[in-house]
Formats: sequence, C-alpha cells, structure tokens
Amino acid sequence: MIYSPFPMRVVSKRAEAPGVNTLKLEFVREEDHEFFKQNYKTGMFGLYGIFGEGESTFCVASPETRKEYIECTFRQSGRVTSTLANVDAGDIVTFRGPYGNRFPIEEFEGKNLLFIAGGIALPPTRSVIWSCLDQREKYRDVTIVYGARTVADLVYKNELDEWKKRDDVRLVLTVDPGGETPDWQDHVGFVPTVLEQAAPSPENTIAVLCGPPIMIKFTLAALQKLGFTAENVYTTLENRMKCGVGKCGRCNVGSVYICKEGPVFTAAEVQAMPQADL
Amino acid sequence: MTRILLRNKLDDCIAAWRSAGFSVLAPVKRHEMSSFGEVQKSSDMALDLVLTERTIKDQFFPQTEPLIKYKIGKHQIDSETMTPPEQKRVFFGVRPCDASGLAIDDPLFGWDYKDDYWFRRRDNSVIVTIACAQADDFCMCTSVKLSPDSAKGADVLLRPLLEGSGWQIEVLSERGKALLEIVSSLLLEGNGHTFPLPQVAEKFDVEKVMEWLADPASFESQFWKDIALRCVGCGSCTFLCPTCHCFDIQDEGDTYQGIRRKNWDSCSFANFTMHTSGHNPRNTQSTRWRQRIMHKFNYYQGKFGVNSCTGCGRCTRQCPVDMGITETLQAITNLPR
Repeated sequence: MIYSPFPMRVVSKRAEAPGVNTLKLEFVREEDHEFFKQNYKTGMFGLYGIFGEGESTFCVASPETRKEYIECTFRQSGRVTSTLANVDAGDIVTFRGPYGNRFPIEEFEGKNLLFIAGGIALPPTRSVIWSCLDQREKYRDVTIVYGARTVADLVYKNELDEWKKRDDVRLVLTVDPGGETPDWQDHVGFVPTVLEQAAPSPENTIAVLCGPPIMIKFTLAALQKLGFTAENVYTTLENRMKCGVGKCGRCNVGSVYICKEGPVFTAAEVQAMPQADL
Repeated sequence: MTRILLRNKLDDCIAAWRSAGFSVLAPVKRHEMSSFGEVQKSSDMALDLVLTERTIKDQFFPQTEPLIKYKIGKHQIDSETMTPPEQKRVFFGVRPCDASGLAIDDPLFGWDYKDDYWFRRRDNSVIVTIACAQADDFCMCTSVKLSPDSAKGADVLLRPLLEGSGWQIEVLSERGKALLEIVSSLLLEGNGHTFPLPQVAEKFDVEKVMEWLADPASFESQFWKDIALRCVGCGSCTFLCPTCHCFDIQDEGDTYQGIRRKNWDSCSFANFTMHTSGHNPRNTQSTRWRQRIMHKFNYYQGKFGVNSCTGCGRCTRQCPVDMGITETLQAITNLPR
C-alpha cells in the first residue's frame, strides 16, 4: 500500500555536530532492499519516520554506488527528528522512498566537478560526491568547497580529512568569521567570497550547489561572476512534504512539484520558477 | 427506446442492489448537515436538495483515514497496514458537479504512484448522477464549462421527469450497465418528458481568468493582496470542495499504540508549507489564496489538462466571510486589460 514504509534497523549512530546526527540504516526485509537497490539514484530523498511520532523528509546521504545501507544526516529540531536523534543501534525506524529525481551524473562524465555546500547541506552533496569519487576515473578535476558557521558545525569531519589527503580532490574549507578556533588552518569567510578567491574554472565544469537559500543566492551570483552558466549549476530544493509522491499538495513552487519534478534542478530551472513562492 | 425508473420502484431497486451485495448511498440529512450516507429505503434520501452541504468526496477521501496501526512495545514496534473495505457501493442521486469532482481527482491520485485508498473505493463504486432540476444563486457549473446535466464522472445519468414520477435513464459505462441489469425487471421502457434544465448564469469568463493567471506578471500583482484581505483562513472552502485533495499524515495515539492517519489539510493554513527552519514560502493569507486559485485554474490544468473546479459553489455558499472563488474569478474577469 502506498503510504506503508519499510522497517529499517539502526546499525549505528554518529554525532556530526551539535544537534546533528547521522544514522546508518539497514533493511529488515530483503525485498525492500532489492527495491531500493533497483531504484535509488543520487539526489533522491525519502521520508524517515518512527511510529508514534511521524515522518520527516530528508535526502539519502549515502551514494548510489553504496546501496548496502542508507545513511541520513539531520538536525534535531522537531518531534520526529528529536526522537530519531535518540535511537540506539538495533532500534527499528522506518523509511519511505526513494522518491524524486536525481543528479544526472552520467551526463557529468568527462567534466570537471565543483561541489559547493553550506552547513547541514553537505549531506545531499556528499551523496553526489561519493557517487562520483567511487568512479573517479570518469570525471576530471574535483573541487569541493564547504563552509559552516563554526568549526564545530562542520559535518562528516572524518570524510573531510579523507578528501583533504587525497591528491585527486581539491578541498576548500571555510568557516564564517568568528567561527574559527585558534588552531583552524583553513579559510575564514563566507562561502561565496571564498569561492571567488578559489576561482575554479567554469570551462567544462558542472557545479553542484546546496545550502540555505541566502547562501544559494549569493553563491549563484559568485558563480555567475566566475563565468558559470545557470544551465551548468545544479541544486536541490527542500520544501515541506507529507506524501512525497505528488498528492498532498504542499511542496509545489509555482506549478512545479518539488517531490516529483525535483528535488534536483538546474539553477536555470529554479530561476524560471516564481521567486516569491520559493 | 430509452428506459425509465419510476420513483415508486426505487425501494425495490434499493432492495435489489442491497441483496446483490451493494451498499446504497444517497443524499441524507443527518446531524443537521446534509451529506452522503447509507440508506435502506427511498424515504431516507433527500433527493430534492439543490446540493448536499458536504461533498461526495468524503466517501472516497475521508476526512480522516487510518493508514497504519502500530503498537510500541519495550523491545519492538509492531505495525499493520490498514485498508479500506472492499465494499461495493452505489451512489444514487449524485449531482453532476460532485460526480465531475471524482473524475477530476482521478489523475492526481493516479499519477505514477497510485493511491490505493482512493482507487479501491473508486473501483468498487457506481455513480448514478441525477441531473439538476433546480439551481441556486451560488451554482456556477456553466462558468467552468460543465452543465446541470453533465455526465462527467457518472456511470448512469438520470433526468427527472416533468411530473416528478421518476427519471429517464442514460447508461454511460459498463459498470452502469451492470448495475441496471440487476434491476432490469423494475424499469419501464419508454420516453418521458424530462424536466427543463435550470438556468445557471455564467458568472465569470474562465478563458479570461486562465489567460490572466498564465501571465507571470500576475503572480506578484497587488490584486491578490486586495482580494484576500478578508479571508480568515478557516479552510472551510477547501474542506467543502469536491476536488480539494490536500492532506497531512499524522500519528495519533498514546505512548503505547496509535494509528498513522491521512487527514484533510488545507492550503489556507499557515502551517501547511512551514519549513522546520521557520521559513514559510506562503507566509501570508494572500499568498495562500493565490496558491488556491493558481492551483485550480492554472497548475492543475497544466498537469492534467482540466481545471480543478466543478462550479458547485460550496466555497462561496459556506464561506463565513462571504468570499469564495466566484468573487475572485469575477474580479479577474473584470480586470482592465
């Protein structure tokens, strides 16, 4: 039946940042896992839930190249996320999905990739990053620009270290002014500014940009200044959702249903939407 | 030769359908509000109403629908999917505007992901529409290109006979044919004089409305702020609309057990689109009213090729501040161009 979720067993929980956790989930039933393996592509989202509290929508943070588990990273803020943040390994939660469209990463083959993320928006970006890094030979230069408010707010710290050490990835890390610690070695400044300084070439490059609306706005301007066209910049939108399948009627921006036609759009597509509805 | 159903055979028809395993639902007056409800005999029916206050939608997409029953134990959570009953149903005396609403919502509940809850009920239902013999000041079916005898969404269309003795039958689908098969011995062959259709004046020009809405410049027009000023956001117009389909999914229960439910929701409510961060894309009543009008007369048309309005007029008839869709569409029609 349509709104029935898959039961998922919590394999592990990792604290990422204050109030931010990552859950690693495994399928309880083999047929559900099979369905996920056949359908999941990077960029898609799901509804994560726990009976008695409800469901919340967030992206699948794990890449399409690793489908043994589902990872999700979320900030504890409401009823559902607070309960999810307090589960232990072995507990059963639920997952409904994968829903929505995807980043067309096979169209990115042979191109340079520029990933830009702010704060808690690294999880959706990370799914694309690993999907590409796991097939590294298909892509040319890979640059990751990631910023958070403070050093503590950076998520996936282990993976940031891993990317930093790789010589086939250029990692540009930054924290907002005032968010640095005494031993912080990387940039201090807002993402758009740091991006302009890093000045990645727009030549044969696809940019994937995820972050809060205000960051998206200024980063898009910076990308434009660097010579990127809106057709070559991809982003993912998030709106409140309940069904995830185009029926409950709330996630649309203008005529576009984020849950079905999105959540992945090019910047050109986003600019064509009525901006007052975003 | 067409056939006729006489009013004095209606009780026998109800009995025949019931013994064939159907529930018979018709307009009824219960709890001081008219709606569709199960009937045992013709005297239970309120067939002379212009329109029931509540729509037939309630019977396919109930106000609250149990999806999953769950029990939370110390070491495990048990859950069980709940499904609507496989009960065959006859809806007798549906108004053309209500029957149209079902047909309009079918593609929405069916695109890509099929909503089993809607379609299980749809697949088990036969719609017998009765053409209108009367209309009131709020009726506006003709403005949205329907009519008091529209067959849209119906399996059988009945036209009232002039002398009030019964209805002339028009069969529209296999399902309708099979339903009448059950009562064929109770029907008469013949042609009667049917009641003249009521005059329903065109209240707005839907083409002009759609053209204005399709202009991107209209989206940020001051018009929306002015027209929505007295909307109190109660949501009545959405709940009483035969096509409004927005819903919420909520877990309702106590610490140990409960039910995950699909409940009606409304684009009129401020919480409807509120993000976790506090950002709300539609944060004023005017942006929510704009969404409602755009959805019905622009977005839905673009997705499914049909406007999501049947002209039943309930949104205006029942509005506590005397607002409704009609006034907005009239105002759009009359905007200077």
